[in-house]
Amino acid sequence: MRLAVRRHALALLAAAALISTTAGCRHVRPYDRGKLAHPTMTGVGEPGPSAEHVYAVHEGAVGGSATAESGCGCN
Amino acid sequence: MGRASATLLAIALVLAASAARAGDTVNGRAFTEIGAYQDSVAVSVLTPSVGATVESPTAGWGANALYLVDMVSAASPDIVATASKRWSEVRHAGNVGAKYKPGTFGVSVAGNASYTPDYLALGASGRVTQELDEKNLTLTAGYGYGHDTIGRTGTPWSVFSNELDYHSFVGGLSRVVNNALVLSGQGEVIVERGDQSKPYRFVPMFAPSVAPTIAPGASVDQVANARISARPLEQLPLARERYALTLRMALRLAASTIRLDQRGYVDSWEQRATTTDFRWMFDAGRRVIWWPRLRLHAQNGASFWQRAYAATSARDLPALRTGDRELSPLVNATAGGGVRLALGAPGDLDGWVLTATGEGTHTWFLDTIYVKDRWSALVTVGLEVGF
Repeated sequence: MRLAVRRHALALLAAAALISTTAGCRHVRPYDRGKLAHPTMTGVGEPGPSAEHVYAVHEGAVGGSATAESGCGCN
Repeated sequence: MGRASATLLAIALVLAASAARAGDTVNGRAFTEIGAYQDSVAVSVLTPSVGATVESPTAGWGANALYLVDMVSAASPDIVATASKRWSEVRHAGNVGAKYKPGTFGVSVAGNASYTPDYLALGASGRVTQELDEKNLTLTAGYGYGHDTIGRTGTPWSVFSNELDYHSFVGGLSRVVNNALVLSGQGEVIVERGDQSKPYRFVPMFAPSVAPTIAPGASVDQVANARISARPLEQLPLARERYALTLRMALRLAASTIRLDQRGYVDSWEQRATTTDFRWMFDAGRRVIWWPRLRLHAQNGASFWQRAYAATSARDLPALRTGDRELSPLVNATAGGGVRLALGAPGDLDGWVLTATGEGTHTWFLDTIYVKDRWSALVTVGLEVGF
């Protein structure tokens, strides 16, 4: 029962995240994406294989570490 | 493992090759990293790795591969408690992947393998991506399958092994909010089936009147003097469902970038966790980026976690039992930073890139025997070259 409540809470949180990211957004044209294409916006500083392994061992939680592409228009 | 890895590599190469066309611009990068880890409970790990990526930005295809070795040496209190000698192990791991995204729709596949004499893990995954609204919105969905075989060193798999299967379902979106801010979110459900109990992990048992008196951080000697003779192996539940939701923010300022990740996690073992990761990356000229980093992780214990399990004899053991500290309530606080140096020639600054990171973590174990806290340090140095 408690787990079912948590699942619903997680789904609601995901829906809230979806709504909050689509509301209030400004349409960014391809020629206006210089900042979005900066290396620090697209991967620099991400944990390497050693750090990823340490976190996996130190933390009981897994999952959700990857992300959707930024849509920065870099290619 | 060799046949599976070769198959995955072949799939990646075929996908990449079939997508390639004459005249495509092809970029390649090779990289190597070495990581050194040391903690206060006598565990040290040295991890060299090598990898490469090739991709055609114009044609939309790409392929990548990574190989690493973990050299682990440990003499933690858990090992001392079983009167065992310092233990060493080498783990080989690798992954390969390929992607093809000629337009707004893309597909990628990946495979991974990890091997030690007592543990074999194989996995494969696929992912589709759809860009919408002139790349201002990106949707992602994926599925992964993995199969682990857990054995004992020196014992053939056919004589003893436990099997663990897991299925991973991923969905995510990334939204460009304005010309300097990207928000993204990803949900992941992982379904695990099988016995993932460690065949070396013995769990001390205590008489029912003694168990409540075992204090957090009780020493190896204190535990040895207080426990009953029965010392069974760990036994975990045979099924687990994990749910993770990660929200990420990347904000570009005038000469710096703030990245913030927040993960919430729950699972069917009633473990809950929160992980916050913060980096603030500063440009120092055109060749140098440096950043401080903070990471905070907190979790409760699994439903069956107990600091000291009570039993009257070997015939009266708790059905579920563990000594895995990562299933106990704990808090990790990590602080560190990194620097990235672009060492290439003018006009190709990223032709050579040197990256170094260092971080220290303090872990508070809130309800465990043997140790109450742990210090650890991780240093990495990586070199990347374009070709």
